[in-house]
Amino acid sequence: MAPNLRLNAVAFISPQNHPILIRTFTKQDEGAIKYHYIAHTSLDVIEERASSKSSECYLGLLYSTEDVAVYGYMTPLKVKIVLAAALTDAVARDVDLNMIFKALHMAYYSAISNPFLVPPDTSGAVHDSARPVLAGSPKWKQFRRRVDEIARIVGNPATTTAP
Amino acid sequence: MAGPKKSVIVSYSSTQSFLSSSSWTQILQTLNSQLPLRNIHWKSASRPSIRTIHELDVSLVNLDTIRDELASQIPTTLLERPLLNIYVITCENNDLEAYRATVKKQIKEWHATVSTRKNQEWLILHVVRADTRVQSGAFFTLKGSVLDKVRADFNTDKRERCVQLVWSTGTNNPAAWAEFLNKLRDGMLSAFESAVIQREEDVRRSEGQRQMPGWNFCTFFILKESLATSFEGITLYDDALVVYEELEISFYQVLKEKNLSWFGTLISPSPKDDSAPLLSIDKKPYRELILANNITVFDFRIYVLSRQCELLAKASRLTEVCRKVGVFLSAFGRRLREIESEIPPLFVESWIYSSALSAVDQCDSWGSKVDLDAKRPAFNAGKAELVELARNQLDVLGIEKQYLPCKPPFSSSLLVPRPENAQPKSTESISNPQLSAALREPDTFYDLYIMTTNRAIDLYAKSGRRKFALKLHGSLAALDLHRGRLDNALTTYNSLPAHYAPHSWTSLESVMLTRALETHETAKKPKDRDWIHVLLAFFKTYAESGGTELLMPEESKSAYVSQCMSALEVAVTNLESGSYPDHPALRLQVSPAATLDESRDGSYLTVTVHNSLPCAIPVSEISVHLTGRESERFKFTTTSESLDSGKTTVKLFSPTPCHGTFLLESSEIRMQRLLLQWSHRRTSHIKGSRHTAKGNNTLVRIPHDLLAFDVSLRQPPLVALGATPSLLVVISTGRNKIASTSFSLSAPSVVFDYQGITISSSIAASSSPPDSTPDRITLQDLPEDEDIELLIPHSDVSSFHSIKVTIEVDYTTASELSISRSLRLTRVINTTLPVSVNVEDFFRGNRLFSKFIVSTLSHQHVRILNARLEPPDSERSGLKILACSSSKRGIVTVTPAQPAQFLFQINSDGPVREALSLDITYRMLREEVEFVIEEAVERAIVETPDWKLQRIPVVRKLIQLLEADASWVEIYGISGELHIPGSPASDDVLREPAEVVKKMLQTHKHPTTPTGPWHDIRIPVDVPVMNIVAAAEIKLSMQKDTALYAGQPIPATLTVHSTFHWGTSANDKERQYMMQYDVEEMVKEWLVSGKKRGTFVATDDGTFIVPLTLVALHHGEFTLPKVVITALPLADVVTMGSLAIPNTETYQVHGAEKVLISPRGGRSTFVLGMGST
Repeated sequence: MAPNLRLNAVAFISPQNHPILIRTFTKQDEGAIKYHYIAHTSLDVIEERASSKSSECYLGLLYSTEDVAVYGYMTPLKVKIVLAAALTDAVARDVDLNMIFKALHMAYYSAISNPFLVPPDTSGAVHDSARPVLAGSPKWKQFRRRVDEIARIVGNPATTTAP
Repeated sequence: MAGPKKSVIVSYSSTQSFLSSSSWTQILQTLNSQLPLRNIHWKSASRPSIRTIHELDVSLVNLDTIRDELASQIPTTLLERPLLNIYVITCENNDLEAYRATVKKQIKEWHATVSTRKNQEWLILHVVRADTRVQSGAFFTLKGSVLDKVRADFNTDKRERCVQLVWSTGTNNPAAWAEFLNKLRDGMLSAFESAVIQREEDVRRSEGQRQMPGWNFCTFFILKESLATSFEGITLYDDALVVYEELEISFYQVLKEKNLSWFGTLISPSPKDDSAPLLSIDKKPYRELILANNITVFDFRIYVLSRQCELLAKASRLTEVCRKVGVFLSAFGRRLREIESEIPPLFVESWIYSSALSAVDQCDSWGSKVDLDAKRPAFNAGKAELVELARNQLDVLGIEKQYLPCKPPFSSSLLVPRPENAQPKSTESISNPQLSAALREPDTFYDLYIMTTNRAIDLYAKSGRRKFALKLHGSLAALDLHRGRLDNALTTYNSLPAHYAPHSWTSLESVMLTRALETHETAKKPKDRDWIHVLLAFFKTYAESGGTELLMPEESKSAYVSQCMSALEVAVTNLESGSYPDHPALRLQVSPAATLDESRDGSYLTVTVHNSLPCAIPVSEISVHLTGRESERFKFTTTSESLDSGKTTVKLFSPTPCHGTFLLESSEIRMQRLLLQWSHRRTSHIKGSRHTAKGNNTLVRIPHDLLAFDVSLRQPPLVALGATPSLLVVISTGRNKIASTSFSLSAPSVVFDYQGITISSSIAASSSPPDSTPDRITLQDLPEDEDIELLIPHSDVSSFHSIKVTIEVDYTTASELSISRSLRLTRVINTTLPVSVNVEDFFRGNRLFSKFIVSTLSHQHVRILNARLEPPDSERSGLKILACSSSKRGIVTVTPAQPAQFLFQINSDGPVREALSLDITYRMLREEVEFVIEEAVERAIVETPDWKLQRIPVVRKLIQLLEADASWVEIYGISGELHIPGSPASDDVLREPAEVVKKMLQTHKHPTTPTGPWHDIRIPVDVPVMNIVAAAEIKLSMQKDTALYAGQPIPATLTVHSTFHWGTSANDKERQYMMQYDVEEMVKEWLVSGKKRGTFVATDDGTFIVPLTLVALHHGEFTLPKVVITALPLADVVTMGSLAIPNTETYQVHGAEKVLISPRGGRSTFVLGMGST
């Protein structure tokens, strides 16, 4: 793991550009809106990238502001993962970021494969497109926990060595 | 440092005389016109792929003008010195003498100076005149040419360094130059490559000594940078960039090792540093500073960045320039902030602001030279990011100067939260004039802020990044709000949520909505319709996300929502009414079954309302609409005070007594004048997906209220065929005392005559007569538990089997005068009769016998009480009708297998012109049994009055049991005992009364005088006209007891008596008809002799006699032969083109007679006189 890489926020966005889950890891309560904006505006950049680059999931640095660098990732099923990392002088390596994204992707993947995701009484009404959005609902805590865990481990690489 | 020369230098040399000649000037001019060189492929041994140089400028310089500047130790570009030296010789190709004498020596001299130079190539150009060459021919080739000689003398290695140019004045043939240009290219490339290899070797060596004492990064930098400038010189920008990247990495390494002794301080800001154009490489003497080892890191990094950007710009990679600048400004800004105390206050913000904007300007000026159609959006996006970066600095500066509040969205640009009571920093040191002017005056600042933001928005819009632009619009609105330009702010905030809503970015949408609400509040605008829309949209975002996506502190959320709610409560009372569809804050769940109110008409529906908001919602009315199969609609309503957060169960009441299954159509919740509506009806859009259609529509079952007001239709008690049809409307008041009711009937293509209405019920007298208008009937004051029957005539419907009548009825009960209940019922009534009647007539002189055969048309048993044949007007017609069966015949059952027959004798004075009518009193077996059961239940109730309430259910239950099994029918038909099969379930409350009634019915007998309801049909019957009724009689004219023997001739008379009683000419004695008679042959029994066949004249009451002789052919008992009588066509009357035959009926008077013929015994001898001889 790269040292000094601190995640400020992670956002999962559905193929239809609906927010699935936006987690912020900063203390400021008011600052959360900033990351919601980041997640939302990233969609524009992802759109630009996705049209040019095809096969690769990892989209690289989308843009950076003064304090955060925003990286993007798009799963083969077009679920977008946006990651806002605190900007440091050190260059974050794409390999590391790709690894973090893969971990986030797996967290999402295990959340979406929950067979009880869609409530039974609405099975007809809920479209398949609504499924990703449901995964981020507050009902499914495990997904949030896993995302938080990933962010914690990334920020504290020392703990990864522990068994 | 001086900018690198743009071109590669190539020197030329020759004899002075030639160089000053006009032909050389011409050659040089032509050569220059061939330049620059294009599409040079550099295949380097040290590089993996071929580098292509699209265009390379070559400057041709006289060798003498190049001075050796080897004195300088600073490594500069490799292109500073010529890569190639050319010597031009001009002697005739075969002029070997001249060559040997002078030219060779000159070349030798030149060659000696040139070939010693490092990393330089040489080339000898032999210019030959085109015309002389032709002259020379091939005769003297043995001697060899000058060129060959030169080759032999100087070109010792493999590389070809001599080239011949065939030159003719005035012609500019590119082909002539091709070889020379190739050589030029090859020579230059090889020289360049060897130079590069050597320089790279130097760099590597220097890098290897990094750890050694005395190594200097700055020196290394200058050395390595010379490579980059060289690459740049031959337009290999990518390679140049690679060099800078490597240098940057080396710098980071040095940075990591904290070995920055070659640099001055991190920054030693000069007064103008914060506003200097970032990408200009000549704003400071950077190279000198580097060489002097006292450049600051700040300057160093800016230098590297500007060089990189310049190269990128040359490579037309302007988008990357923007990106690089942005990253650099952010990253280095952070570094500078670490030493904030050492630099002037707000230096970083000012520096980033000015640098970002100057970089954009620089990019624009580069961009104007480059064609970047496809990359234009990305370039704009990059510029927009830079402008936004500058704008963010304005946020920070604005907060610092307290021109802007320290809260989102402005505070998002703060990197560290601003301490509460921080002293405003001085802005004195900001050197950007625009910025420092803005920071002196709030309005100027706001103008700058808006201008910068709009610039960013514009660029984002051009690059297609809508979402970035939206975000900036939001910040502009926030500025408007802060400045008190509330209308502007409100307009923006009202329009922004619509952009976030479609993708359910609830968080951002809700922020915009709360801002809009706040603005509205601050502006003290009336809480009008728009405000309510915004508020409802806000509640919607709250409800959709369950409150989790709201970006506000957890504890203040519910307080804020309830505060909004109470504001809404006030607002809705004085609002023009409006409706709002499908709001998600409230969700209604309707129970699938309604319950009856046992004390009055109507039913209750349980509805669970989920309120997703954290506070109670004040409501005034909740209602639910149901629709039935015939699109009748019912409304269930209840009034309510408020709906608490979470689930609330309410009971909705509908006064309409209706039963069946209904579809949940819509529901409404009213808050004073605000109406929230939900449509529950789903129509499946996609045909294929059956799953979506299923289970979406909610069905509600309402049980049947047997005591409720009801209207039913029946066939009238008397159906007269041929008369105006009518139907019976039965109004059952049930438990209600009706104050007034009015109803109308409608059916397709049927006209009801409300004026011709008659009340056929017994209570008609007591209540007020119906008040009928052409389209409605109104009744007043009906007592409870009563059936009021109204007979309504209507137009002919004989073409239909049944008619579907829609009844619209309103009524008010005496107990609840305020509630007007209205029902829309659809009833189907059969117009066909259950029986059919056939008639057969038999004329016997003056009498007529009519036989009526009544058969059932359905599979049901029909019980017929009696059938009567009525004369049209018994006094006048003189008809006498006798029924053949006795009146005590009892009830006849007509089954599909067994029709009933009724025979009547009609005596009349003359022919019957008017129709008789056949009245049949009947009922269906089912009706009879229902009546029997009802009667029995009635009796049981008299004994046990407790069961009174269960009267109707018990009857229904018993009938249900009868329906289950038809085995009781036969026994009932014979004896009247009704054995009800089965019994109600043991836990049924109806079991006990049902068992009692069952027992009673088992001993039931058919009553001697039938009771219960009966139906009547009146069928008009015409008596046929018969012109001639003939009675034929064969009478044996002999004594009564005389024995007859076979073979014996029997004299007989045939008498035909004719009467015209039933015909058109009754009692007309003059009338005559020609008739024909024919005695039937019975060849086995009778031999008939005499006038067997003939004609006669028939008169009224006349008799025609003819004698016959019959001989019986064998013994036995025979009927007499039949006589067929037919009328002959009338000679005088012709109808319809053919001869009219009067209709005739003949009956055989002797038809029932039989004659006994004895066998002839013994022998008879007949003596026949033979006559005299």
